[in-house]
Amino acid sequence: MSDLVTITIDGVEVNVPKGTLVVDAAKRIGNDIPVFCYHPKMTPVGMCRMCLVEIGLPVRDRATGELLRNPDGTPQINFGRNLQTACTVQVSPGMVVRTNTPFVREGREAIIEFILSSHPLDCPICDKGGECPLQNLTMAHGKGDTRMEFTDKMKLAKHVPLGELIYLDRERCIQCGRCVRFQDEVVDDPVLQFHNRGRSLEIVTMSDPGFDSYWSGNTTDICPVGALTTADFRFGARPWELTPVATLSPHGPAGSNMTFSTRIEAAAGGRTVIKRIMPRQHELVNEIWISDRDRFVHHFADAPERLTQPLLRKNGSLIPVSWDEALEFVAQKLKGFDGTAVAGLSGDRMSNEDFFLFQKLIRQGLKSNHIDLANGRLAGGDVVAQVGVVNDTTYDLPQRLGVGDAVLVVACDLHEEEPVWWLRARQAAKRGATLVTLNARPTRLDREAAFAIHYAPGTAVETIRRLLNAAKVEVEQSDDPIVAAAQALVKANNLTIFYGAEGITYEESDAIARLLGNLLLVKNGGSGHVGRVNNGLIPVWPHNNTQGAWDMGIHPAFEPGYKPVKTPGRNATAVYAGVANGEIRALYLMGADPVGDGLMDGRGQLKLLVVQELFLTQTAALADVVLPAQSWAEREGTFTSGERRVQRYYPAITPVGECRPDWQILAQMGERLGLGKAPFAASLVFRDLAKVVKPYKGMDYRSLAQVAKQWPDVGGEDLYYGGTAYENRSGLGQQWPITPPKEPFAVPDVEVPVPQGLTLMRIAALYTPGTLNRHTKLLAARLAQPTLLLHPQDAYALALQDGEPVTVAVNSGNVQATLRISEDAPVGLALIRAIPYQPGTAVAHITRVAEFASS
Amino acid sequence: MIAEKYAKEIEGILARFPTKKSAVLPLMHLAQHEYGYMSQEAMREVASILGLDPTHVLSLAGFYSLYYEEPVGRYVLEICNDLACALRGADEFVEMATQKLGIPVDGTTADGLFTLKTVMCLGACDRAPMLQCNLKFEEHLDEAKFEALLARLRAEAEAGEQKTAVVPQMIAHAAKS
Repeated sequence: MSDLVTITIDGVEVNVPKGTLVVDAAKRIGNDIPVFCYHPKMTPVGMCRMCLVEIGLPVRDRATGELLRNPDGTPQINFGRNLQTACTVQVSPGMVVRTNTPFVREGREAIIEFILSSHPLDCPICDKGGECPLQNLTMAHGKGDTRMEFTDKMKLAKHVPLGELIYLDRERCIQCGRCVRFQDEVVDDPVLQFHNRGRSLEIVTMSDPGFDSYWSGNTTDICPVGALTTADFRFGARPWELTPVATLSPHGPAGSNMTFSTRIEAAAGGRTVIKRIMPRQHELVNEIWISDRDRFVHHFADAPERLTQPLLRKNGSLIPVSWDEALEFVAQKLKGFDGTAVAGLSGDRMSNEDFFLFQKLIRQGLKSNHIDLANGRLAGGDVVAQVGVVNDTTYDLPQRLGVGDAVLVVACDLHEEEPVWWLRARQAAKRGATLVTLNARPTRLDREAAFAIHYAPGTAVETIRRLLNAAKVEVEQSDDPIVAAAQALVKANNLTIFYGAEGITYEESDAIARLLGNLLLVKNGGSGHVGRVNNGLIPVWPHNNTQGAWDMGIHPAFEPGYKPVKTPGRNATAVYAGVANGEIRALYLMGADPVGDGLMDGRGQLKLLVVQELFLTQTAALADVVLPAQSWAEREGTFTSGERRVQRYYPAITPVGECRPDWQILAQMGERLGLGKAPFAASLVFRDLAKVVKPYKGMDYRSLAQVAKQWPDVGGEDLYYGGTAYENRSGLGQQWPITPPKEPFAVPDVEVPVPQGLTLMRIAALYTPGTLNRHTKLLAARLAQPTLLLHPQDAYALALQDGEPVTVAVNSGNVQATLRISEDAPVGLALIRAIPYQPGTAVAHITRVAEFASS
Repeated sequence: MIAEKYAKEIEGILARFPTKKSAVLPLMHLAQHEYGYMSQEAMREVASILGLDPTHVLSLAGFYSLYYEEPVGRYVLEICNDLACALRGADEFVEMATQKLGIPVDGTTADGLFTLKTVMCLGACDRAPMLQCNLKFEEHLDEAKFEALLARLRAEAEAGEQKTAVVPQMIAHAAKS
């Protein structure tokens, strides 16, 4: 039996998969049946009645089942007496749909008139005005007239804060329930509900804080009217004044596609500024959703604290100087050091172009192999290059994980680290995939997991080794969850693995990556899980372009493209040690603050410290030269996601002060150190790197900007269908191909000190206070506060009370936290959140604050 | 805290449903019985017992007319004034009731005894005018019967008797099972 069904819509035949809704089938052939409550990413409810059409079915003889035919041989069609909602009816063979008859038009007119009978029509001051589905559909299908008595107009609250991020205008709400359903069905934060009934129906939230969800902003995109608006954009600009500029998330490793809406503003001194961020459709990356961190944390780009001029230390203080003076000073100084005494450390937020020129400057310009990420948390980039996940190449209904497939999530809390991937793992489980979580403690994904396995601190490597060994043998049934999970994973049609670095050291993460790589290679009767669509490893990198840093050779042992270095240089830890003992005399830092992060103890014995930065960080304040860099919003470049998807972002706002893009600073420095003429555009740097970095071969700025038709159709003329997320017109990027290994990975032995007694582990929080989100005042109240979670038993043993302030010893010193007694913490494992990253686990030293103060 | 005070009853109620979430309506009755109405705190308590977001409880309290989000009197008099009752004089009856009690519809008497509400069809059209008092029907009413009802309820309140019909039974039943 064919899975395609043929139906006729307004005389046009269309073939669509079985189960397709009439409204989607019509959309496929450009017939825009109007909708309000329907959304192609959510289950239909048929609440608003806007999509009423005439639906006819072929008539069959009851006795014989034969189609009854008209005298001319055509099948008889029975249309019934009533209009039906096109959003709730699935196609069936021979169905005939009429969308433009007087009967249908009358129905639409009536619905529009009905909806408008309690709508304020305050379009001139409404944020949605100009991109409003209700406006558009009223123009297209309304009567242009009303029988409404204006004296009876509903008067309701117009500025209801659902928390401090999202505002509700009760008058504008047309009660379609898209927001309520999105929160419940898509993101599992059912914090919005309907209250009351009939004409008194309204949207309410009672969560604490209000509208408590990392996804709240998406409801404003899918709201078909101006009822839900973000506090960030509310009354900020009219949609038609805005210029869309494609960009990427500067935060998480998923590479979420987004769009800036910018405007030239007198209030900003004639500069182009960011007015809002909205999702840009990429069905293989973030679909049409972005987290609130991605949406709201952009104010750092325009923060008044940004550096604006190069600074040079003269007579002990940092003085603004010209670029020429600063560059010349650094170049001359650097020439005076031997390569073994120079090191370069980078943050992992920069672009591929920046990384490429950074390593070129350090390796070729300064003849040093001491190059690394300043704060590397997670290893395994070289493993990912061989067994990384393979994406589908279809954007229109791509193949997604579901029944028969499996997802394994190891040592990370996706909900807090990369919400977009949490959503993907959750949706896969909802569609029937077997989800296995493997962590030291319960995480939110455990709710959907078929196997939620919690290992003791320090036993992550051992546990995964057991999992791998259990996957290699055929077992019918087992009571051991690790064995059962291993069997489910190895037998799955498709297997995607996410791994992170929660509670493990860098060395452990390297071993884990290799073990997971070997798990993917296990065939056990099947074909293995490497090199096929939706199979492979996804590293949950700490930042947006850690992947790019690995690819570009920001690593003491790898050159660009994972070419091994003959004599590997010092890693970051060894560099910090060298700074302290005088073996490293000159340090070049790009987008990193090792002093602030507690990794480097001041300047040590450095003779030269150069820092490229956005802000005057603790490290920058100690530097000899500070070079002001442009933020991602001011310049173009490419980031590579954890799925190895290389994507472009574009310049959106006027550069701040005299800031230059990092790659340009490095190129101009390189020119002074004999590395040849500086390229004048990021695209040319990319062209150069694509020649050297093997996996990037064949890519250029044009190929990265290619687009394809995606489903559902959002952001087009008919905003009502999928909301106001932007259509992707600026590039879907390219995933670089893996080179599968010829044999399993050798796994190094890792020594893991297992702490005795109560153990301390740092856990992630999406809104951990940091350099970037500190500048979004809107999120100030939601920034996570340092919190220590203790199991009731442990709290009892320590005689600590819920809510009491405590001091906790961590690697970088003591931190103050509030104690929460919670069963989210396993017995014997204290969890601390909202503090800077701490690798591995340690013995927990917890002191009552009062005691600490008095001792 | 109902979780402690009614631990046994709650356990009994939860045992009757395949999923915790399904027990929300009876638990709301229990909370309302305890606090007199569905206060924000009561909603949060019910939500935390069931592991729900409190918004879900609020939504149900808003949907069903028998959960009160504002404090009500000891006796809630809900007069049906839907079409059939209206044809048999329900509107006049409501008017009379407001005068007798000295409060508007949705008001509560100063002594905290009575709250007057109007409701949609209670399914007793043939016995109109009628009302339900704390879930118990009072039918074929007129002014005299209404006065007699008020007198009876006042006397009962003075004697300190508990006269909420359905909810205590339900709670008692849950405790037994």
